[in-house]
Parts: sequence; C-alpha cells; structure tokens
Amino acid sequence: MKSGNVFVSMQNVTKKYHDLYALHNVSLDIKEGEVFGYIGPNGAGKTTTMKILVGLISDFHGEVKIGSHKMPNQRNEIHKLLGYLPQNVAFQEWRTVKDSLKIFGKLSGLDDQEVEKRVPEVLDLLDLTTVCDKKISKLSGGMTQKVGLAQALLHGPKLLILDEPLNGLDPLSRQTFKEIVKKLSNKGTTILFSSHILSDVQDVADVIGILNHGKLLQFGSLNQLKQGLSAPKTVEVLLSTPSNRWQELGKIKGVQSIEQTNPGKIILTLQSEVDPDDAINRIGKVIIDLGMNIRGISLLSPSIDEIYINYIQGGQAQ
Amino acid sequence: MNLFNLYKDELRGFFKSKIMAFLWIGLPVLVIIFHFLQNTSTDQTIPFTWLSALIVSSIGGTLSAVMLSVSIINEKSRHVYELFLIRPVKRYEIMLAKFLAVYSCVAVASLIAISFGMVSDWVTTGTISHAVLSSAGESLAISLSMIAVSCSAGVLIGLVSPSIIVGAILVIYGGNSLSVIPLIPNMLEVADAAVFTIGLSGIVTLLLLAVAVISFNRKQF
Ligand SMILES: Nc1ncnc2c1ncn2[C@@H]1O[C@H](COP(=O)(O)OP(=O)(O)OP(=O)(O)O)[C@@H](O)[C@H]1O
Ligand SMILES: [Mg+2]
Repeated sequence: MKSGNVFVSMQNVTKKYHDLYALHNVSLDIKEGEVFGYIGPNGAGKTTTMKILVGLISDFHGEVKIGSHKMPNQRNEIHKLLGYLPQNVAFQEWRTVKDSLKIFGKLSGLDDQEVEKRVPEVLDLLDLTTVCDKKISKLSGGMTQKVGLAQALLHGPKLLILDEPLNGLDPLSRQTFKEIVKKLSNKGTTILFSSHILSDVQDVADVIGILNHGKLLQFGSLNQLKQGLSAPKTVEVLLSTPSNRWQELGKIKGVQSIEQTNPGKIILTLQSEVDPDDAINRIGKVIIDLGMNIRGISLLSPSIDEIYINYIQGGQAQ
Repeated sequence: MNLFNLYKDELRGFFKSKIMAFLWIGLPVLVIIFHFLQNTSTDQTIPFTWLSALIVSSIGGTLSAVMLSVSIINEKSRHVYELFLIRPVKRYEIMLAKFLAVYSCVAVASLIAISFGMVSDWVTTGTISHAVLSSAGESLAISLSMIAVSCSAGVLIGLVSPSIIVGAILVIYGGNSLSVIPLIPNMLEVADAAVFTIGLSGIVTLLLLAVAVISFNRKQF
C-alpha cells in the first residue's frame, strides 16, 4: 500500500522565537508509509517541527504540505488524517482512561459504533484494559504515555506524529510499540517520531533526520548516513586462541594500522581507498596461511550512536 | 455535532469534579445562612425569594467568570488543549462548549436557588406575595443575562491571562466594571429597563465571545 508519493513535505521552514532560530530553513520530504525517525539534542527543534506539522504553531515561514493540503490554512482537512502524541501528554484531572478515549475517538470522527469497537481494541493492544476505568491522573508516567499513544492510534489515522513516544515505556512496551509501528507502516501509515533512544530509531526508522540548533544536518536512510560519514573503515578479527604472530596481519595490502584490543581480538583499520570486501578476503587467506585459529572476521560499521555523535559534534551540514 | 459532544464532555467534567454539587447545593445553603444571619441582626425578615435572587445576582457573575477563566488558564498551562486542537474540531467550538457548559450550570444553580427560596417562603409563611414574585423574576432575568456577559468575559480573560493570579485580578477588575451594565438602562431612565438590559447584555456577550474566538484562533501552542 506504500505509494512512494511524498506525503509530508516541508520546504525552507523557519521558526523564530525572538532572536532564537528554533528551526532554520528545514526542508524534508517523507513518503507515504515511511517511518521517519527524528533525532537531535535537547532544544534542537524537534518538538517545534512536529507542532508546526500538526498545526499548533502557525506563525512560521516556509511551506508545509501534508497530502495535498497546506498547513496552516487547511489544518482542518489535515486534522482528519492525523494522530498526534505531544511530548508531555496531559489530560484533565477528572478523566478516566476509557472515557477520554471515547471522547477523542468521537472528535476524530468515529461514530458511536466504531468507538465501541475501537476503544477496547486499542486498550488491549497497549495492555491498558486493566486500568481502563481509572483516572488518568492516578496512573504511572509510563501508563499515561500509553494512554497518549492510544488516543493517537485510536481512529487509524493516515499520519502519525509522535513526539518521544518511547519516553518512560518499559522494555516490553517499547517492543510492542515498535511492532505496532512496523505493522502500521506496512499498511501505509506514514509515521514521524522523535526519540533519544537511538537503537529504537535504528530498529524501526526507514529514514532518519538529524537536527541540531534548528538545522537539519542529515536526512536519509541509515546506510546513506553511514556512507556520508568520513569515518575510517575497520575490520575486526576474532581468534579462538590468541596468537603472538598477530602483528603480521598489519603487512597485508590495504591495511593501514593494526591493534590488539584484547588477547585474540584484533582491529585492523583499512586505507580509505580500499574495497573492504577485497581486504577481508586477503586477511582471511593470511590468517589461514599463518595457521591461526579463526573464530570470526567482520567489517565493523559505525553504530547509530557513532553516526549521531559524529554529525552533532562535527556539525556537518547537508 | 462536535459542539454537542464537547458540551456534554464539559458537563461530564463538572459532574465528575463535583463542581455541579458545589454549585447546586452550595447556593441554597448560602440562602439559608444569610437568612439566619439577617434574622439575628435585624427584626425584619427579607423573604427567602428576594434573598436568593439577591445572592444570585451578586455572586452569579463573578462565580461564572472565575470558573471559566481559572479552568481555561489551568488547562492551557497543563497543555490539555493540544489533544483537542489537533482533531477536526473548530477552535470556536471548544470555547463555545465551555461557555455554554458554565452558563447552563450557573443558570441551573440560580434557578435552583430561587426555587428553593420560593418553596421556603411558601413553607414558612403559607403564601408568596405577588410583588416578591415579580421582582424576583425580573431580578433573575437580569441576573441570567449578566451571567452570560460574565461567562464570555471569563472565556476571554482565561485565554489572554498568562497565569491564574493575573486572571483573578482581571476578573475582579472586569467583574466590577461589567456590573455597571445592568444599571445603565436605569440610569438612562428608559421605559423597559429589564428588556433593555437583557438586549445590551446579549450584544456585549457576543462581542466578547467574538474577540475570544479570534484570539484563540491566533494562539500558538
Ligand atoms: N514557546 C517558546 N518560547 C520561546 N522559545 C521556545 C518556545 N518553545 C520552544 N522554544 C525554544 O525553541 C528551541 C527548540 O525547542 P524544541 O522544544 O523544539 O526542542 P526539542 O528538539 O524538542 O528538544 P527536546 O529533545 O528537549 O524535547 C529551544 O531552544 C527552546 O528553548
Ligand atoms: Mg521535544
């Protein structure tokens, strides 16, 4: 059901608070059914971006389109497609879990029958059935967050914008959330979410945006971000019995430097112009020729944490 | 449809947070307290009906303005509107639902208080004089139209005030100057002072609501 058409588009969006650029010329296109993971330090402007997309902030510069509708002028049309979880989701003190979902479902356009059907489904999906008659103000932080997720998912919106949805969730709930995201995205729901838990972003996001000081530093798939990185390529060799001839691997063509971090664990840094697959072949042959007992050999790719730190500290713009 | 759902939701909130109980039982209790207070301080007793009309007209307006402004400022600062504003609901519907909910709650409270006054008069004296009834009726009509003005002022104050304290200050300032409105027709010595007051209050209510809606539509969250 993914069409490949751009569904969420921001062109040169700028938002200022007095002298501060919360967002500076941010442009991004997200396709229908894609999962977009938005990362960046505190105060980078992630929430500001999301508030602009959902129509809570309308005094910005630039162009924002969702489907064929423009924000903010056609926000009522956009709101029919939208599910949103704010960063600090809040409900009136007197609301219980179930009746808040009912009213939000109705306001999102579900009729009474659909509400009766969907509310128990969503409660079950997020494991909230046991607390459904409790006041939300009496729930734990993570539980409240789940009610926030429930109200966003309830009406099956085409676009989900979730500001730190994993905040406060236990590991099992995080897993559940990621499964929900994958399932919805396969059905064609476009999902934007921000998070500081980079491994979760890596797990579900098709495209990742790195924002810092209101500027979009990088935008692309994890692989594209890795390729854009000028970090050196490294190969890890694991031996089942440590060998004192390990330094001979440093003489292999294309290897720039070598170090043994633990007995039996050797890290080889390759010269930048070398093809890593060729190098790994040569390394394997030499290891066998030398009669070493090999356990494993692999190309180390930069982790998302390394990518993040590299871009944020390097401040390289797109 | 949305307006109706929002209105019902507000009323449910008033019910669950016991606001209704305090209003609907509280006003008649006040009437009883005042009755005993004036019994001990003077020989003459004012009929219950008058007493209740007096209480409604003196505190009904401030009560509604405080209810609306405090609840709006509180909900604004807790960010509970965001979940409403991102749904296909017109912003004016949200404010109008609040206005109608508080207005109908306070109006019902006023009716309960005055009916309570009339029943008390009837039980204690066996009759209610015509004069008392008609003046209480007129006072109720004026009070209800003033409560509408106060409600709309409460909405506007709630939207523009940055904090509950500022809101409270504005309600007290505004409340006092607004209470001049029902006196204007009397001061001008027009024929049907009550009708004039009701009409004037209606216009002021609509104006204040319109300004509130414009400011809510422009608000950034
Ligand atoms: N209402 C406001 N008035 C003034 N400045 C604001 C306002 N809201 C946000 N800002 C500023 O805009 C910048 C971006 O804030 P934003 O909330 O978008 O960051 P964020 O990336 O979501 O951060 P976090 O990861 O901490 O949630 C910050 O410097 C913040 O102080
Ligand atoms: Mg944020």
